[in-house]
Amino acid sequence: MTPLNEAQWSFLHVVGRRVVPPLAELDDAGRARFRTIISTALADRPAGVQAQIRAFLTLVRLAPLLRWGKTFPQLPAERQGRFLRWLQDEAPGRLRQGFWGLKTLVFMGYYGQAELGPSFAYTPSPTGNEHLRA
Amino acid sequence: MREHTFDIVIVGSGAGGGAAAKELAPLCREGVRIAVLEWGPRLAEHEYTGREAEMAGKLYFESGGVFTRDRTMTLAFGRAYGGSTVVYTGTSLMIPEGPVKRWGVPGLTWEDLRRRSLKYIRENNVHLLEEERLNDNNRLFRAACEKLGFRVEQFPINVKGCRGAGMCNLGCPNAAKQGTHRVQLPAAEAHGVEVITNCKVQRIEGRGVLRAVVEERPWGLPSPWEPGEHVVRARVVIVAGGAVHSPALLLRSGFGRQLPALGRYFTAHPALILVGEHPRPITNYYGHPKSFYCDHFAERGFLLETCMYFPFVTAKNLIGFGEEHAQLMHRMDRLQMILVLALDEALPDNRVTLDRAGEPVVEYRFSEPVLEALLESMKVSARIFFAAGAERVHAPAGEKFFIERHEQDHLDELITRRRLQPGRISIASAHLMGGCRMGASPADSVTDSWGQVHGVPWLYVADSSLFPNCAEINPYVTIMAFADRVAEAVRARWREV
Repeated sequence: MTPLNEAQWSFLHVVGRRVVPPLAELDDAGRARFRTIISTALADRPAGVQAQIRAFLTLVRLAPLLRWGKTFPQLPAERQGRFLRWLQDEAPGRLRQGFWGLKTLVFMGYYGQAELGPSFAYTPSPTGNEHLRA
Repeated sequence: MREHTFDIVIVGSGAGGGAAAKELAPLCREGVRIAVLEWGPRLAEHEYTGREAEMAGKLYFESGGVFTRDRTMTLAFGRAYGGSTVVYTGTSLMIPEGPVKRWGVPGLTWEDLRRRSLKYIRENNVHLLEEERLNDNNRLFRAACEKLGFRVEQFPINVKGCRGAGMCNLGCPNAAKQGTHRVQLPAAEAHGVEVITNCKVQRIEGRGVLRAVVEERPWGLPSPWEPGEHVVRARVVIVAGGAVHSPALLLRSGFGRQLPALGRYFTAHPALILVGEHPRPITNYYGHPKSFYCDHFAERGFLLETCMYFPFVTAKNLIGFGEEHAQLMHRMDRLQMILVLALDEALPDNRVTLDRAGEPVVEYRFSEPVLEALLESMKVSARIFFAAGAERVHAPAGEKFFIERHEQDHLDELITRRRLQPGRISIASAHLMGGCRMGASPADSVTDSWGQVHGVPWLYVADSSLFPNCAEINPYVTIMAFADRVAEAVRARWREV
């Protein structure tokens, strides 16, 4: 069972593109891996944590209404980034921690994909010592 | 409900449980029945793939990201046949005399721990890597420390046939690391000790009665026991589930009523990962990741160690996001990394408690000395990176994402206390200690100096939860030395129980 519904996944991708810009370039297989990695990680966490993630996604989507009269997806990219930076640097503790959790999920879904390693200059080998001698 | 009867049951199979099992195993020849109940799976060799997300999910609790209650620190600890010894880097240091003296536990001497530690150092093939096996990430750290006049030492490590996969924290894909899953547990099983994997002990009910549940997992070998509930009876119980789950098990089982220190005095060596970027590729993820440490600043409250983490762990430990973050992440082959460990004093309010469902919750508040140590460590690390030739440095408490080489004389203005906000930066821990601390009195400790729970002659603890205060070094060998003591006490006393 997936911990997020389709709308929540779509919104996580919207936020995710601000967090990891290359996320926008993922193909269908990459997007599927993104969901699988996050779903698997959330499944191992207490139900309360999953509920907090869902609630925080809703908060990120709607909170910009108060400041700009628009939801997060309706904001231009620059304002989306500014809002997320506020969450990271200036927001009260619980919101700051919520954003830390959200961006960590996005990092996990993207950088946790071994298939993408070469694109970020990461090509590990079980016989790494051979590369030391090369 | 199935029932099982043993003479000795050990809960957990990591450094403590594994060592205790091996030390007690010769008793099997006398007909003594011994079991190890391990929550985690026993992976088949082909399942050690080195893939970050996959292995983290299989071998760690919550993929290595268990939050403290206020979500300002994540805790990484293993859950597998071999416990955390499957997923650590193999660094095998002997505890120095200083911390043991400061613990001041009557009956516990440094000489005793040293003698026992030496046994495991021999048993686990601990040695220094040859010079040609050191990668640039490690050599650059050593050279920079020497240039700056900082004391730097090489880590002895417990590998056999290391091929330099650099994936120690994901479970070695070459079976080189000599954790308890490779040494002590197979030896214990050869004597007749039964190791039951996928088996979570829920509580201890009455005298030596354990309630456990075996769960099926989609990975690992099947548990020797059927899925479902089990009752296990034992004359002696040794709890070795680690510094989170050992106190939690004892709290769930009601021992907190007579032991006010249970769960308290939790320490963690809170850690940060620092990154320096070099102008050209270096060897960093090839070869063993952790070869050197710098204890030059131990009296100022921190240690520095080389490290090389995987992409996701690296990404989450950088502060920030967006273009700059992605830019740095896309140069993984140019990154030099330093792990900072703060030496945190054991405080009674830093503790393991239970939530309403009986699951552990770690309450941890960063003391001002720890925050000051973390701040100072970032500045020292930045100096090391620049001395090693890095062109820019990322510090989590930096006023900007990158500190450029030409700014290296302004570290005090660029790395600030204002930016060091728990909850904003990633602080993690893999050295979890305390919660069932040794001591003389039940008023402020949980066990005696032999690991026996005060007032409960059939119940012992044999893991890092015994530490009265932080170890000030990587704790694995010391945990084994403690378990060795516990096994000696059990051998001497179990028939009387």
